[in-house]
Amino acid sequence: MKCLLISSQSAEVLFHWTDPEFYQNVQSQYGASQEDGHGLPAFEDSISTLFAPIIISCITMVDRLGDSYTSFTTENNHIYVLHQFDECLYIAVNGDGEEEEGDLRRKIYVMKKMIEVMFGMVTLSSNLLRRELRPQDTEQRARLWEHLQSLLETYSHLRENDQSFLVEAVERLIHPTLCEQCIEFLERRLVQQLNSSVERAGEEVLHAFILVHTKLLAFYSSRNASTLSTSDLLALIIMSQNMYPSNTDQDDPNPEDIESTSGSGPESFYTPEPSPTDMDSRSSDMPVRESTPLFEFVDPDVQMAEDSLHTLEVPPPDPSTPRRVFLEVSLKDGLFPMMPHSMYCLPLWPGITLVLLTKIPTSAVAMSVYTFLEAFAKLEKRLNEGQEGSAATRGQPTIHDIRSKLDKFIKALGASEIQSAQLQNVWTDFKNRIGRGGPGFNRELIRSCKNMKTQLCGVYRQCFLIESGTADSPRRLSPGLQERAQTMVQDKLMDWKDFLLVKSKRNITMDFPGLIHFICVDRSTGQMIAPSLNITERNVSELGKGPLAQFIKSKVWSLVSTTRRYLQKGYSTVTLRDGDFYFCYFLWFENETGYKLEAGDIPVLPDDSAPIGMLAWDYYRKLLRYYSKNHQGEVVKCYELLTVHLGVIPTEVILQHCRQLASKLWEPSRNPLL
Amino acid sequence: MKRFVLFLFVVVLLSMIMFVFEVPVFGVDSCVCFCQTPLDRQELLCGQLAGAGRCVSELSSSPVRILNLHRNRFAIRMEDDFFWALGCSVEVPTVSVCELLDQLINLFCFYNGSVRHSYQLNSQETLASRWAQYLSHLQSGSSELQHIFSGLKTIDSTNVDPLLLLKAALILQACQRCPLVLAGCILFRGRVVSTQMSPQLTMKVMVHESETYTKPQRPNGQSSSFGSAVSSTNVFLTPSELQYLQSTPVDKDFSSHSTPHRNTPLKKTRLSRTLSDTPSSTESSDPGSSQSPQKLLSPHLSESSVYSSDPSQSTPNPPPPQPLEPPLSNGKHSPEEESLEESYYHSFHSNGEGGSQIDNGGDSSAFGENSHLHGGGVDGACGEEFNFREAEESHDNKVSEEVSGRGCGRVQGHEVERPDPPRSDAFEHPGESPLIPMTLYLHRVKGLVLALLAHLRSVSPGVPGAPGPYIFAHFDCIQSTLTLCCCVCVCSQPVWSTGGAPERPFVRATSLLHSHFCNTETLQEAIIRSAGAAVYGTRSVAQETYFQQHGGSLRNSGIPNHQDSAFSLPGKARHRLLKHGVNLL
Repeated sequence: MKCLLISSQSAEVLFHWTDPEFYQNVQSQYGASQEDGHGLPAFEDSISTLFAPIIISCITMVDRLGDSYTSFTTENNHIYVLHQFDECLYIAVNGDGEEEEGDLRRKIYVMKKMIEVMFGMVTLSSNLLRRELRPQDTEQRARLWEHLQSLLETYSHLRENDQSFLVEAVERLIHPTLCEQCIEFLERRLVQQLNSSVERAGEEVLHAFILVHTKLLAFYSSRNASTLSTSDLLALIIMSQNMYPSNTDQDDPNPEDIESTSGSGPESFYTPEPSPTDMDSRSSDMPVRESTPLFEFVDPDVQMAEDSLHTLEVPPPDPSTPRRVFLEVSLKDGLFPMMPHSMYCLPLWPGITLVLLTKIPTSAVAMSVYTFLEAFAKLEKRLNEGQEGSAATRGQPTIHDIRSKLDKFIKALGASEIQSAQLQNVWTDFKNRIGRGGPGFNRELIRSCKNMKTQLCGVYRQCFLIESGTADSPRRLSPGLQERAQTMVQDKLMDWKDFLLVKSKRNITMDFPGLIHFICVDRSTGQMIAPSLNITERNVSELGKGPLAQFIKSKVWSLVSTTRRYLQKGYSTVTLRDGDFYFCYFLWFENETGYKLEAGDIPVLPDDSAPIGMLAWDYYRKLLRYYSKNHQGEVVKCYELLTVHLGVIPTEVILQHCRQLASKLWEPSRNPLL
Repeated sequence: MKRFVLFLFVVVLLSMIMFVFEVPVFGVDSCVCFCQTPLDRQELLCGQLAGAGRCVSELSSSPVRILNLHRNRFAIRMEDDFFWALGCSVEVPTVSVCELLDQLINLFCFYNGSVRHSYQLNSQETLASRWAQYLSHLQSGSSELQHIFSGLKTIDSTNVDPLLLLKAALILQACQRCPLVLAGCILFRGRVVSTQMSPQLTMKVMVHESETYTKPQRPNGQSSSFGSAVSSTNVFLTPSELQYLQSTPVDKDFSSHSTPHRNTPLKKTRLSRTLSDTPSSTESSDPGSSQSPQKLLSPHLSESSVYSSDPSQSTPNPPPPQPLEPPLSNGKHSPEEESLEESYYHSFHSNGEGGSQIDNGGDSSAFGENSHLHGGGVDGACGEEFNFREAEESHDNKVSEEVSGRGCGRVQGHEVERPDPPRSDAFEHPGESPLIPMTLYLHRVKGLVLALLAHLRSVSPGVPGAPGPYIFAHFDCIQSTLTLCCCVCVCSQPVWSTGGAPERPFVRATSLLHSHFCNTETLQEAIIRSAGAAVYGTRSVAQETYFQQHGGSLRNSGIPNHQDSAFSLPGKARHRLLKHGVNLL
């Protein structure tokens, strides 16, 4: 029973995703509409009717009380989490006990993050975003929603099964020699060759990385590229997993294994399957939804219901078309969020993928648009705070500063194929208005600011969201060039691929008696290390397989959410004796030389604050900034360690283990990978 | 006809701002509210919460239980066409506010019977003021920690002469020998000295005690006519509460008398005897009263012989099943005990007159604190005496541990044999369910109150903790009692509620840990540390204990280190709390 809904302020559904149970639940409340055949519109209508009162109440509360609902819990433990971003209201529902309130809030934030990565600064204009999320054309809408639904499902699947998405940090394959070789290969051979090719159509490869399932084998950024943030990298991994789902957990569980959990039985070792020789398998771009085993359709009614959601299936787009992604760029002159990039996701073998991120030729436009948007947003804020128009325009950056720049910008646009007449009109109107004064001046000016922002977002949309270029010469790395890149890396890794696939399942081993599991995270780099917790039959982890491993897994997952709750309230050390286990959690700061810094105050956040993590909202970046205030001129690093021990081990020993883990874990991997 | 489908409470707990308001069906009638925020804000909130709540409960086919806003948290109860919302700050744990709302509703039903019925009989204003009363009682003088645990306040047994506790238990047992008396408790200034009732029921009874202190005249006019020292009122028990009371070992001997119906004939005879010299204002209040047990109880209770502590007077009834130790029951009476008897006699003999004098005297004092009934002199005496005990602490501790251990053991022994006491979360359908009318009888002597449902409990003054560099909170889940000790400051309740004090981090940690314990059955102990404080929490089936050590260097890097002082907390807690009679082993 799960659902996620995005709604506009007028209770118009901008996006919805439901699992089959929720779908059925809604349909059963509107029994009649289920039979008349047109699945999607009918379902959309019913879901919007059902939620409308809540949405309207929410908006009324904000308008009249300045406060609104953050969550509901019913007696049968259904949870509803609500969050409003600008004019979009997100509602996430769980009715099967699999997600807590925090998980739902996280899901909402992740959905918003994915929308930002996909639509960039268009998200800054509610009006445009509304049209973008809900295209008039029903076929187009179905295609978009299906893509978003699939991303959401991929994310949920990763969050439930992959430790790196549990703690929201990137996991690397631990093999220093191979990693170094690969990085060198990416730098000297691949990126250099791509960027010197004429077939790149003006694009420039900035980042290249190789993923083995969700783990990072090698990452290379070109010299003039800015750092790729962990948040963006995690979002990109979700996208690539959505395109080429790992089949790590698809293996059929062998019923015999459930009996042999005592550990005395013969241990089976992972034997990789022979790689498919059929290279055609890599050319499918669209996500293969069926391969994410999220649901098992037993009930024929459910099957039908789910099918009716996808009646408007459209042919997959050309696989060589890159995805447009909007990522944060940090340059000398500041931080620019949502700058356009192209993402090429090239499958090497099942489970191994090469990802290229390129800078597109027109990306400078995005920076200008952002600068202007920021100036108007600040002006609007000052006006809203009640500053007089004339005073407000003098704030930083002043409108006069950008005036000539904007004039030039509009002039340049006029020469291009971008439709900028409307922007020109609104800008002229704004310039006329700002000279005036008198009653109602502020209100008028605020409206003018809003108009300018909408127009700028509109220009941005035209530049980066609408497929440009002609059919004969699309702006992208040519298919031939993409194929060459793919082959090069395949040749390089051919001998390693089986090893890598195994390695990705048994990344590290532990030799502390009594220690059952640990996760260590370097929050400064957004990287994590943990023994595998794969629980399917074929992928035997350190814990063996079957119910016990499943149990430990559920303990680890709940431990992470528990410690986050404490961290949110300012607690950086937590130990718990729970049943037969002893859990520890530590968060600490070090300087660059490894000197342990004194524990500082950790801000206490409200229950409904943004989720603690790095994917949707980088809590740790904020935490580091907060902590660094008292450590000026020093590079501060932040680490986390979670451990699960058997409860019978003396606490002393447990703490010694933790200490050893904390000091040793990062040693072999200190070499710079990112 | 005014018929309420919905009423809503919004209470800001921590800041003690309270406003109560009720919305009638379909908004036909006007809202009643007495509050500090504008009416339309409340109306809006009321309508929106109820509407959105209704919508969500339809979607999920289940009533809404919790509703969070950015700045407030609401416990919700939806039942039939009723809607309750109790709001508080978001810092109060969800479990606690839900429990508080249940308590509040149960309390209302205890004194008023079914909600629907009450709203048919009484005006909105009257009922609103009652809700307000119960609410303020539940919040009164309590610390933030009490909001978290919603426990009973008891006397600190380590600071009371164990003889007193034993006496109290004996008095209660003596009372219970009367077939009409179901159970009793003895209270002292809002604290429980001894009780035979479940904690939940005791809590309900205590409301009347404090209420009659503050307002000698009950709003519904049901209170009685025995003078201010003696009063009775109609109350309503849920079937499970009644069953629980009837199944006590003591009552088993008289099981034939313990159900209301069988009692009827007996009741009648006694009624005629005792009512002859007391005006019966109760008669007219309830049409079905001739059948109701409380009718029978109240006159019966007014007979001093039944619960007099004089052994000769109690002999007509067979002794309780537990053998009593002669030296204790016949031993020298403590001063409180004597004064109890003495004034009891006084009030009995002089009946209404003496009571009214006391009452008049009380009216002159500004606020209805308990003290006005027995005068400052007595107060002072009590205080001194307890202080004196404190000085002798080391000696007393041993004795008290020993004796109270035995005494409590016996009382708890009863409880073990009983069926599970009705928990507040046992949903009793406040709107409609059949409630069994009873009479609650109260007799007060110098701050001590004997409440019989019959029931008795005795109580002692605040918690003077031994000075020490630590804080702890110990919650006894069985008896629903909370022991607090903040040993750095000389502790009195208000310190806890100020919120700015060094206890603040402790309260926050305790609140988080308590929620965690409530939600995770397997969790046994936890240490959590922020930059300022490390708190240890541990729990078993019977108790939850939280401990924070002051002072000592908290300087650390946060990196795992077994020499870190935070990890020695469990040992320290075990050692320190032993002194307070809390055994963590």
